[in-house]
This record gives sequence, structure tokens and C-alpha cells, in this order.
Amino acid sequence: MNREVPFSSKRMLLTLTLCACAVILLQNHELSQRLSFPLTLGAMAAGLAVCFLFFIPSVLLKSRHNTDALTLLRSRAKPVRALTAAICGASFLYIAVYFLLPYTEMFCKKYYPDASPCLIAFLLLGCCVYAAVKGVNVITRFGIFLFVLAMTTNLLLFGGCVSSLDFQNGGAFLSGKPQDFLQDALYFATPCFIAALFACLCGSAKQFRVRHVTIALLMTGVKYALVLFFIVYAVGAYAARQEYRTFVLSRVAHFGSFSGIESFYMALSTMSVFMILSLLLCGVTKSVGKPGSLPLTAALTGGIFVLHWLAEQFPFIKECFTCPPVLIGFSFLTAVVLPAVLLIQKRRQHA
Amino acid sequence: MRNKFLPLCCALCLLTGCNNAHRVETASVIENVCVSRSADKLCYTFFLLEDSDKPHAVTVPADSFEEARRLAEEQYIPHVTLAKLELLLLEQEVSGEVMRRDIDYISTQAYFSPVAHVALCDEGTIRRLKRDNSAQELIERQIDLLHSEQPEVKTDYLSVFNAYARRKSFSVPLITAEKELRVSSKTVIPVR
Repeated sequence: MNREVPFSSKRMLLTLTLCACAVILLQNHELSQRLSFPLTLGAMAAGLAVCFLFFIPSVLLKSRHNTDALTLLRSRAKPVRALTAAICGASFLYIAVYFLLPYTEMFCKKYYPDASPCLIAFLLLGCCVYAAVKGVNVITRFGIFLFVLAMTTNLLLFGGCVSSLDFQNGGAFLSGKPQDFLQDALYFATPCFIAALFACLCGSAKQFRVRHVTIALLMTGVKYALVLFFIVYAVGAYAARQEYRTFVLSRVAHFGSFSGIESFYMALSTMSVFMILSLLLCGVTKSVGKPGSLPLTAALTGGIFVLHWLAEQFPFIKECFTCPPVLIGFSFLTAVVLPAVLLIQKRRQHA
Repeated sequence: MRNKFLPLCCALCLLTGCNNAHRVETASVIENVCVSRSADKLCYTFFLLEDSDKPHAVTVPADSFEEARRLAEEQYIPHVTLAKLELLLLEQEVSGEVMRRDIDYISTQAYFSPVAHVALCDEGTIRRLKRDNSAQELIERQIDLLHSEQPEVKTDYLSVFNAYARRKSFSVPLITAEKELRVSSKTVIPVR
């Protein structure tokens, strides 16, 4: 069992930024084709603003009491702890399957068609067990390595697409319906799951500043905006014909005769999903009161695998697990409701 | 014991991946496809990746790229792979009939590179390709040169597909081979 080793708040927010970027890496047909680029950016700003609001209760808890929701709950009665563990467990298991499903699908459809999605999920989850047992400190250290990989991949991705830019691909400046805007804004609000992770895991983070959260969301926004810009102006209508249109960017990127950086793209997606799953497992084990417990982590991973398998077998289950409003709802419970209740209780105690 | 077990597992995983190596040897990598008409029938000629000077070409009569790919895999070239396809040449006479349809099909397939070259050509160019293995490289170099001189010329699937989507006329490279390979541009007017 690992102890909670203090780690830098900057490092944690950097890790969470990279997790949030996985949302755009795994983007398939979730974004509307009818909405023009400037309006899509507007929807993105609205979505990320919602994410910022999700951070407020846990940021207040951290800055006023230097703790997180789960650490505060340790001193509460057993039924309260059990209820919290159930909420966190359900939320985090849902979020884990939400990200695992599109990742394995993208891997099998775009990169290696002969592979079985369940096998890919099994191998990835195996690595996540190891990371989750090691704890948040080790995972955030891995985040630094991933940041370097992300920078390299982004440079290759965007640099390699510059020669394919064609501004005639953009279409009308402002076009689209309100429901398209709402659909996109809802999708861009899904990175709010990082607020749920922050609310549960930020207890040991040192030297926390509110600006860290703002910078993390700004970095996420810049990454999203760049990806969307290149999809619209470098890939154009071709993107709509393919599944996982952000992935198509990696196939379009080229430098002279050297073309296709799919391997970099897949590596970045794999590691981002790996970090999300590991942090989620850390969150659940912490909510149960056994952070770093190998049997518990293995059991939870087994649960994620079974849910993934069921989703692969039954399309209606898959639909339930790929629904952004449900993810936002679960994130709201963990990131907003839980810390807000604890904040109110703390205030009453002090009063 | 634990320290030895982990590297051993990693090594096993990596080495068992080599089991797939024989697939690379037996796979037939296509690097160029030409579409022409022969005896009133559309023919798709698949040029396989070869080390020798003489190219290895397989001609499949078919009505579309999709059908040609399927027939090639079933009857002519087992383990055919089009992931490394670099050039699609369409004989000028058939381009009006097949270009839009085939590019449309290619745009839906994950394994094609969107930045592979597309060009029109004459009968002599296809004859030259069947005789000389270095012709493809020469053609690709000429297309790149044309694109750097005239960036408005659409030279790959991606830009040709997007040009069709805009429903406006656009230019594509035209390769001719009388005495030597020459490249020029030809305007394509999409049928509305």
C-alpha cells in the first residue's frame, strides 16, 4: 500500500491537462459538421467555462483548508463514507469505460484492424493497475514525460499539416443551428472529469495557486482550437468521410516524402488514456479508504474490463457508456456536489 | 525474482510480436495503381513493390476501384496491402468516368494515405510504367515539382476530394510520355 506522497500542484495540473486533451484525440463524430469554425470555437469556450465552474468548490476547499473531499471524509461516519465511495466508484468506473471504449475502437479501426478491442483493453488495464498501485505522485511524474511526447507529436502534427492548409475549405463564417452549438458545447464540457479527479486527489498537492487551474484549462483550449483549425482548413470535407477525424490529421501530416505520424498519435492517445484510467483507479481506491491496495485495484480493473466487454457485445450498453451528458452528470456529483457539501459543513462548524 | 520476471515478460511480449514477421514477407505491397480502358472494359493495374528493374504489374478488369481491390485480393494477389499506395494514375479517357467515384471510395477507407498522389496520364505513360521500375519515382518527382510551381494544382486524394466537394473546376497533373515523361496541368470540371 502506498503512502500519499506530496507532489507539486503544477505537475498535477499539467497531468490533468494532458488527460483533458485526450477528449479531442478520441473525437469521432461527436462534433457537428454543420457548425462553422468560429461558432465551434464559441462552443468550445462555453464548454471549457463549464469545466472551470466545476473546479470552483474543490479549489475553494483546497485553498481554504488545504485538503480534498476524500481526505475530509475520512473523519466522517461509516455510512457517509460508504455512500461517498459508492458515488465516486460509480462515477469513476463510468468515466474509465467512457474513455476506454473509443480508444480501443480507434486502435482497432484505424491502426491495427486485426487486434481484438478486448485484448487491447486488457493490456492497457494491466499497465494501469501497476501505475494506480504506485500512486498519484508517480503518475504525475510520468505526466512530465508525456508532456514532452505531446509537444513532439503536436509539433509534427500541426507542422506537417501546414502545407495542406486550404482556406477555401472553411465555408461560411457563421453557420449552424442552436442545437448544433449546444451539442458541441456539451461535448467540450466533457473535460470536466478532470475537475472530479482534482476534487478527489488534490489533497497532497503542494503550493497550489488558482491560476494553475486557469492555465490548465487555457492550455486545453489552445490545443482544442489548433486541432479544430487544422481539421477544418487542412483536412476539410475529407474528415467527415472518415471515422475519428482527429486521427486523420496524423495521416495528413507530412514533411516532403515522409508522411503519416499515426504511431506518434496512437502513442500519445494510449498514454493519455493510461493516465486517465490510472488516476481514476487511484480516486476509487482512495474513496474506499485503501489507496494503493493491489487487490482492490485489480478488482476494480476487472470491473472496468467486464463493463468494456459488455459494451463491446451489446450496442445499447455501448450507447449508455458513450453519452457525454451522463459523464458530465457523474463529474458534477464528484466535482461539485461532494466538495460543496463538505465546504458548507466546514463553514457551519467554524460558525 | 520479481525483478527478473518483469523484463522476461516484456521480452516475451516483444518477441512473440515477431510471429507476424512472415506476413510482411508474403504481403504484396501495392505502390501504384493505373486505371485504363482495354477492349471496352475498365482495367485496374496494380504495381507491386519490387526490388528488380522490371516492374511486377497485375491487371484486373473491374468496374470500380472497390471491385478491383476485392478481385485482386480474392483471385490475383493474396495478402494485398494498399496502405503504401503512393500514386493513382488515371488514363485521360477514363478519368471523367472513374475519378470522382474512385476518390469517393478511397476517402471512406482508413488505410489509404490521404496525401498519396493522383494524376491523369496517357497510354504511353502506363506502357512506360510497365517496362521501367524507375518511372514511378520520376513521375512523383515531376508532380511535386509541378505542385511547388503551381500550388493551386490538386495533386493528392485529399485536395482532389475537397475540390470535388466545393463543386468548382480545379486542375490536376497530366503526365504524358512521347519521348520522355512530361507533366502539365489539366482542368477538371465537376459534373453537377
